[in-house]
Amino acid sequence: MTVRSAAVISAIDTFSERMGRIICWLAVIEVLVVVVIVLLRYLFSIGHIGLQESVMYINSALFAFGATYTLKAQGHVRVDFFYNRLAGKAQALVDMLGAVLFLGVTGVFIIWSSWDYVALSWSSFEGSAESSGLPIVFLLKTLIPVLAGLLLLQGVAEFLRALGKFRS
Amino acid sequence: MIELLPLLLFLVVCLFLLAGYPVAFTLAGVSLLFAYLGMAAGVFDGAFLDLIPNRIYGIFVNQNLYAVPMFVFMGTMLEKSRIAEELLENMEAAFAGLPGGLGISVVLVGMLLAASTGIVGATVVTMGILSLPSMLKAGYRPSLAGGTICATGTLGQIIPPSICLILLGEVISNAYQQSQLNAGAFAPDFVTIGDLFAGAVVPGLLLVLAYAMYVGIVARFDPDAAPPYKRGSREVSARKLFSGLLPPVVLMVAVLGSILFGLATPTEAAGVGAVGAALLALGRRKLNIGVLREVSLETVRLTSMAYLILMGATIFSSVFRGFGGEQLIDEIFTGLPGGVFSATLIVMLVIFLLGFILDFIEITFLVVPMVGPALLGMGVDPIWLGVMICVNLQTSFLTPPFGFSLFYLRSVAPDELPTGAIYRGAIPFVLMQLGILLLLALQPGLATALPELLR
Repeated sequence: MTVRSAAVISAIDTFSERMGRIICWLAVIEVLVVVVIVLLRYLFSIGHIGLQESVMYINSALFAFGATYTLKAQGHVRVDFFYNRLAGKAQALVDMLGAVLFLGVTGVFIIWSSWDYVALSWSSFEGSAESSGLPIVFLLKTLIPVLAGLLLLQGVAEFLRALGKFRS
Repeated sequence: MIELLPLLLFLVVCLFLLAGYPVAFTLAGVSLLFAYLGMAAGVFDGAFLDLIPNRIYGIFVNQNLYAVPMFVFMGTMLEKSRIAEELLENMEAAFAGLPGGLGISVVLVGMLLAASTGIVGATVVTMGILSLPSMLKAGYRPSLAGGTICATGTLGQIIPPSICLILLGEVISNAYQQSQLNAGAFAPDFVTIGDLFAGAVVPGLLLVLAYAMYVGIVARFDPDAAPPYKRGSREVSARKLFSGLLPPVVLMVAVLGSILFGLATPTEAAGVGAVGAALLALGRRKLNIGVLREVSLETVRLTSMAYLILMGATIFSSVFRGFGGEQLIDEIFTGLPGGVFSATLIVMLVIFLLGFILDFIEITFLVVPMVGPALLGMGVDPIWLGVMICVNLQTSFLTPPFGFSLFYLRSVAPDELPTGAIYRGAIPFVLMQLGILLLLALQPGLATALPELLR
């Protein structure tokens, strides 16, 4: 592995790891918001649409930013029956090809295909369909290309890591 | 030939999945490459790809799925704060004196553990580490001990509230609406995740009963296989047992009950359950910032893992539809000799075989959208179908030599438990599973009666 690619891998890994450690608190916040909604509804018969919608935003952000951390943490399941029996180089080859053909194609496709969809939402600063809902649906939709972009970034690190393993 | 392309797509996807790259990306990547080849050959309409961003947005705003992080949070909290472990140890010590008592208490605690975490791998591993040594030390025949733990671990799917049932409920309710829209219904009937929970209660309890009876019968007629535990080694006072058992059980029953009786949505109930679990941990001085971070990170990992597979499966099903897959499945099913029965049987067989290579999340997201609308359109009851799929997958995960549950136990079992013994021990439980599956097929009311009663 070259010095430069080792530096790139480590920079991306650090970024993804830190992001995961920050956004994981969204899980706690999501739990608390759900409980507040329940208390308001069942004890005081108050339904707050903005608060209910906020769960949607928290949960989506948790996924959009968390998927990259999960990729870095090797948390996305594989069918490992054969993979585990492969030699290190063969595993590295699977990971290299997968990073380009599967992760790469998917990430680029999502950014490319969602571009107009998100741009349209931004052009009118699309808000909630509910009158008292949150006026930031365009930000929620923006999470789609952001998710794909972050996955691609970590994908570069995964590719370089597999390449290094393949060459060694 | 062109009309068979959707099946080819499915086969190619399965083939590439075996290579071992993460499932979510393989599903999406292979499907997209297939679609582009189709476009180049002029047999695929690119407009189907344009719908994908809005379908991904649909995943983001799907309120039913918010129950997933809530349940993962609750289960992981119970696990990391070692409440589940204590439960297991106390129960074992309390009932170990009875013939077969240790085995039966493992089944019962496994049921509670399964209900709380709902994740097969986690349950098998936890019980393999905690219960297996005590069963072996008590002189249980290794195959009986291994089989009991593997089988009990798979209960995590069927005993509500399980993440398997949440995801299955979501996908089945979509397929159900789709099938009715296809049939031209203006106000489609719907099923909820709560309905599926209710449908799983009776079959789940039947399985627990069957497991426990099996262990009891073996202990009665073959005492060498399941000897009574020698008293005195680990006594537990009734008070300690009670105080250890009661709070988590009350928590589980409250969460499940409020969903079943329609008092709260699964997300709400699980959110309150998550706080309840945190309070239990706090009461035992097991809650600190480190545990909270660990639980949160685990929640992020499992939630985004499931969501990303759903995203990949959504891309797959868009491409599958674009190639005319829905009509193809419909034509194949309606053309089968034997009608609904053969169609259901084929789907069940395919799911059983897929269970050897894929976990329930992948199968749920991949197969149900493919075959669900056609099957439900033929008049199959959605709740019954969901419960059948669940029990079927459980059986698959338990079947030697490929069952997941067996692998998980192998990974934590000591060498004195040979792999062959695990396989042998699992077979009686596989037969019990098949028995319940048959019973469900003959008596669909076992799954459908309770949801109707609670509506």
